[in-house]
Amino acid sequence: MTMPWFLPMADPSSLLVVLGQPFMQRALLGGLLTGALGGLLGSFAVLRQLSFFSDALGHSALLGISLGILLGINPTLVLIPFAVLFALLVNQLVARSGLPADALLNIVYSTSLAFAVVALSLVETYRGGIQQLLFGDILGISWSDLSVIAVLLLVALIYLALSLRAQVLLTLNSDLAGAFGVGASRHRLAFIVLLAVVVAVSIKAVGVLLISAFVVIPACGGRLVSRHFPLYALISACLGGGCALLGLLGSGLTNLPSGPCVVIVQFAGFLMALLVSQTTRRSPATAVPAGRHIPGGDRDALESR
Amino acid sequence: MTEHSPVLLVGGLSVRRGERLAVEQVSFQLARETDTALVGPNGAGKSSLVGAVLGLLPRSSGSVRILGHALGPAGELPRSVRSQIAYLPQSLALQGRFPLTVGEFVGFGVDPPGLSLAWLGNRRRTEAVLRALERTGCQDLAERRLSALSGGQLKRVLLAFCVVRPRQLLVLDEAQAGLDAPSSERFQELLLELRRQEGWTVLQVSHDLEMVRRSCDQVLCLNQRLRCSGAPDHALSAARLAELYGPNVVPYRHDHAVVPAHG
Repeated sequence: MTMPWFLPMADPSSLLVVLGQPFMQRALLGGLLTGALGGLLGSFAVLRQLSFFSDALGHSALLGISLGILLGINPTLVLIPFAVLFALLVNQLVARSGLPADALLNIVYSTSLAFAVVALSLVETYRGGIQQLLFGDILGISWSDLSVIAVLLLVALIYLALSLRAQVLLTLNSDLAGAFGVGASRHRLAFIVLLAVVVAVSIKAVGVLLISAFVVIPACGGRLVSRHFPLYALISACLGGGCALLGLLGSGLTNLPSGPCVVIVQFAGFLMALLVSQTTRRSPATAVPAGRHIPGGDRDALESR
Repeated sequence: MTEHSPVLLVGGLSVRRGERLAVEQVSFQLARETDTALVGPNGAGKSSLVGAVLGLLPRSSGSVRILGHALGPAGELPRSVRSQIAYLPQSLALQGRFPLTVGEFVGFGVDPPGLSLAWLGNRRRTEAVLRALERTGCQDLAERRLSALSGGQLKRVLLAFCVVRPRQLLVLDEAQAGLDAPSSERFQELLLELRRQEGWTVLQVSHDLEMVRRSCDQVLCLNQRLRCSGAPDHALSAARLAELYGPNVVPYRHDHAVVPAHG
């Protein structure tokens, strides 16, 4: 079989060899867990209009990594406290300044990025690794990284399942949530800290430039094909995990960079979800003739459940 | 707490919003199973008052007691009391294709405050949701996305959210905003019917003075301070309204019924 000229690797059988390698097995498991985690958190983050938060945090994380390098500490260890501090800082700025959150996020992340680039320019030895920082290095994921991601996925699952009602009501109307006994500020803070930690942990695999794709794309795909909230969160997590797995396999097959491959597959998944939602809405078998009213029926009734 | 104790007792309540004193030394009480309207011009402090009463906004001074329990400084109330309160906001932040059905949303109204897995559902919860949707005429909407509803349907679904479990105090913040006259009329009729059946005590912020005159037992006229209060005919007299809204506001009384639109 001849592979297209633009794919650098020509022998699919060698994929089996690659799959037998422990680093690839770790990468696949890491991709699956990271993708599922991004999709799960993303399903809530997108509704809470926090997609830009993950993007801004991803870019700002470069400063955390730079600080780790400058101080001679493992950047991964610096990243989590840095991300939590970032989340707390943004939360305080939004609460106290009265300025729009997107503008404040822009200020914080541009400034962090500027400092990070200056700091990295001072570290001669790390210049070669900039691509790994920007686009991730999922093949370099270790067992300890995997356990951190697995624990985080478990924590996120438990917290989001227990607070699902609170999260949805807060998204719909914070006063409504408060009147029904939801501790609005407590849950808001808990969620953004969780999101920050997830972003920080996923950066090693995904990179600072592509991290927001992991949070946003599966959630938007899930939203297109589901109108039930629990199913939406589940589909988003499955899309995230499934696309990451396929993307990594594609990356192994073609020897192309892993992070971008995953994001391209996620985008393909999103397009498929869009196609499915459009097709079911236009299906002649379920279409409503003009002027005829079906009680309780609407365009959403035609969507998959 | 006796049968005659007020459901809501507010004493000397002041609320500060930034530098401005939005509500100053307001005192009133709501007797059991009464319908009270809070009226006043824009910026009079109505939403601030409601926010402070529900414990959503901090109080500068004063006290709030709900069902005999004092509201804490940060809005703390025992869970048993909190679950007796329902609130209807003006609107919900429903972006396009919001992945939540009407049935799921109303189900959240059944669940007690706090962390729980009650949303997973059981037979009792499902029956409560279906009953609430039926009582509000929304039984055909259970499987629809919340974001696909019309304004009038959404208000009825919000009422279903309130009626899905027994409650005592219902607070509405301009719940009829954005509805046309027939929809507003139908909403008010449904609210009155449910109030009678449920024995709700109602506090509603409203700009519809004609509706207030027809259906409320008590009116609180607010413009930072409580300017007057009492029965609608007393509180909404021409002189009182001029004092509250300024001399250019002339009350007009509709003595005709609203004819529902057919189409």
